Formats: sequence, C-alpha cells, structure tokens
Amino acid sequence: MSTILRREVPKIIVMVFGILMILGSYTTIPIFDTIKAELTSWTMTISAVSVWLGAVYATYANYQLYQRNKKDGTVHLIYFVVPFIVFGLQFGAGILYGVESAQYLWYFTNIYSNIGATVYAVMFFTLASSAYRTFIASSWDATALLAGGLIYTLRQIPLFQAWLPGIVGFGEWVMLVPNVGGGRGAVIAAALGALALGVRTLMGQEATVTEGA
Amino acid sequence: MIEPGSWLDLIFLALMTVLTNYYLKKATDGTLPNLRTIPAIAAIEEGVGKSIEEDKPVHYAMGASGGQLYSTLVSMTLTSFAFLKYLSTICARLGARLIVHMPYQTESLPMIEAMARDGYIAEGKEDEFRVEDLRYYGRGALAWTQGVTASYAQEGVGLNLSIGIFYSDCPISLEMAKIMGGLNVGGTGRWIMVYAFAMMCDYVFLGEEIYAAAAIVSQNPTMLSGIFVEELGKFFSIGMTLIGVILALVGLNIAPLLGV
Repeated sequence: MSTILRREVPKIIVMVFGILMILGSYTTIPIFDTIKAELTSWTMTISAVSVWLGAVYATYANYQLYQRNKKDGTVHLIYFVVPFIVFGLQFGAGILYGVESAQYLWYFTNIYSNIGATVYAVMFFTLASSAYRTFIASSWDATALLAGGLIYTLRQIPLFQAWLPGIVGFGEWVMLVPNVGGGRGAVIAAALGALALGVRTLMGQEATVTEGA
Repeated sequence: MIEPGSWLDLIFLALMTVLTNYYLKKATDGTLPNLRTIPAIAAIEEGVGKSIEEDKPVHYAMGASGGQLYSTLVSMTLTSFAFLKYLSTICARLGARLIVHMPYQTESLPMIEAMARDGYIAEGKEDEFRVEDLRYYGRGALAWTQGVTASYAQEGVGLNLSIGIFYSDCPISLEMAKIMGGLNVGGTGRWIMVYAFAMMCDYVFLGEEIYAAAAIVSQNPTMLSGIFVEELGKFFSIGMTLIGVILALVGLNIAPLLGV
C-alpha cells in the first residue's frame, strides 16, 4: 500500500470529518447539524455490523487454542461450540415466537441476568481484598488514603453515627469539599489531555491514528 | 451563527490549536524541554521481564468498554493503542507471550490487531505474533470479566497492563490479576474509576498521566509536543479559577460574560 493511501488519505478523512463535527457543535447553521446527525447515525451502523468481526476473532482464537492443545483444551472446544448453540436457539426462538416472547427472553431472565448478578457480587470480595491490602499506613500517601477510607466507612455505619455524631458532618464535608475539589481538578486535567490529543488528531499529527505510535 | 454559550469553548479550542502548532514546530526542531520520568512506564518493561522469568504470559486490557471510536472517550482509546504497540514491541523483543483482552466495542478490533502486530513487525518477529492471543468475549462487561479472569487462572499472569476506558469491570479484573500473582500496571482517564487503579495496581498512571505516558512511550516528537500544550492548558485553567475566585470574592460574577 502506498504511503499516500496509508497515511495521507486517513489524515484527510479525519480532518474533514472532524472539522464538520466541530462546525456542527459550535455553529447554528442547519446543514452542519444535519451532517453531524447523519455521521453520528453511521457510528451505530458500523458498531452493529462489526459485531460479526468479534465473533470471527472469538471463534478463531478458541479453535486455534483447541488445536494447539487437544488434550487439555476441551474448555476451548466448549467456548467454540456453545456460543453457536446459544445463538442458534436464541435466533430460532426469535424467528418462531418473536423477540418479545417468553421463549426468546428465557435465556436473559433465567441465565444471563443471574450470572450478571453473581459476577457483580464477586466485586465485593475483590474490593474487600484490595482494601485490606491498601489500607496499611506504610507511607504518608497510604495513611491519607486510610484516613479518608475510615472516615467514609465509619460515617456510613449507624453504630458510629450514634457514638461519634460529629463524624457524619465531618464525613459530609470531606465528601463535598476536598473530594469534589480534587475530583474537579483531575477531571479538568484529563479533559485537557483529551483535548490536546483531539487537536493533534484534527491537525493530522496524531501518530496512533495515522501510522501507529 | 455561533452556538450561544459556546464562545469560551471555541476560544479555548482555537488557543489550543495555535499552541499545538507552536510546539509541533519546536518538536520538529528538537528544542522541546526534558520530561520527568513516570515510574509506571519503567515498570512495564520490568513486568515483561518478570513474566519471562516466571514463564507466564503478559496480559493487556483496555477495558470491557474500551476501544470506543465514536464517543467523547475516544482519546483514551487512542492512548491505549499507543501502549499496546509499546507493549507488543517489548514482548516481541524480549520473547514474552502477549495476550490482548479485546473490548466488546468491535469497531476498533482491526486497529487493535494492527497495533499488536506492528510491535512484532518492528522487531522483525511477525511470525511469532499469535492472532489467537487476541481474545474477544462477546458483548457486555460481565462476559468480559469472566473471560479475562478465566484467562488469568488458566494461563497465568506475569504482567497485567490495563490502560483505557474502565467502568465497574476493572475492580474484578485488576484484583484477580493481583491474586494470581501478576504485576498490575495501569490507569484510566475516567476519574471515577481511578480509585480502583490506585488500590489494586502496583504502579498507577493517575488520570491524565496516561496521555503524557502514551506520548513518552511513543517517543514521537509530535505526540510529545502535546504534553506541553496540556500543561499550558492547566496553567490557563488554574489562572481562570484564581481570577474567578478573586472576582467572586469582590462580588463580580463573570460567568454570564463568558457565556457559561
């Protein structure tokens, strides 16, 4: 592929569409609003179509891993076969009974959402385990984190709200003043980083977009 | 003609564009000042070495919801691409196995493969690149966390580098990598999830540090110039905040004048 096709054409496309989106956001000229809305709808189409690409990656990976290790790779065979069975059943139920039928929704309500709830429940254990490791006053930073975590936790517990009435107000102050102030500073800094990257992209100078980092 | 209330944004965007142009010229001339080192960058190579010693793979994740190319978080996607190429280059050079846990945002999958492959090409080892180590787990953060943690358990984890767009998927994936003995290095520009990285990572990129770090690892002068633009933007914001506070203290509200 020539350098012009590989580098210059993507740069021009990015710059043209980026400027059109900016004009759509900052001006009141109707044509730019229409273009912006149209381009935004394209993203939904691209996203929906490219789901099949993910299916190809998943299938290929599991098939290759099974081929590499047939003895212990049964789990990859399962990953390879089961999604297609589920897809077939789901697709069939959708065709036969409609997408709002109990048959079509059975998998979501009885399996998928329950697994989801279980996975989220696991998060409690991961957070507890990391909190136990993190809340050790080994440095000034860690001590500050420990103090903040303690104040936040204690103010949530009714027993401590009764024993130490002042902790509720103090906890609220920590949440609303230093926490919000620090958080806003961090958000502004992150937004500036994103903006600098966006400007570079618009100027066709962002290496990750045009040629890899 | 100009959208009401967007004057300040537009002026700021124009200012950033002028500054970017100025620092790009300086970068081209090679006159940019030196940058401070970020310990988490050095930890990446250290983690790859650890993975080789322990005969375990290196894992890279950009979040279940990473890879977004059409949202306001696209900058984090591009940053995670820069890290992926950097990591794949190190893995190719040192001979470590790299497993990439791809996000469920499928539109960026070809770019992810290209970035991972580019690192191997850069080291002249394209034949060692394994497409089957690019893992896709279907749509949804739940399937993603299960797939990633299963991979840690089955294949082991030496280094887990997680940079990108993370929601509630990261407490599970990061902590499981830690429990499995992995060295966690990571960061996200989403401030609300930085707590998880601060708690669970051995080395963390705090918020906007990911943008600076991506430029440093790329060693691309044009990307490095962006750091200086970002820093000037910070000074501008601090200045505006101070002026706003002082004017508010004397009873002047300038927000309507700025259209905010």
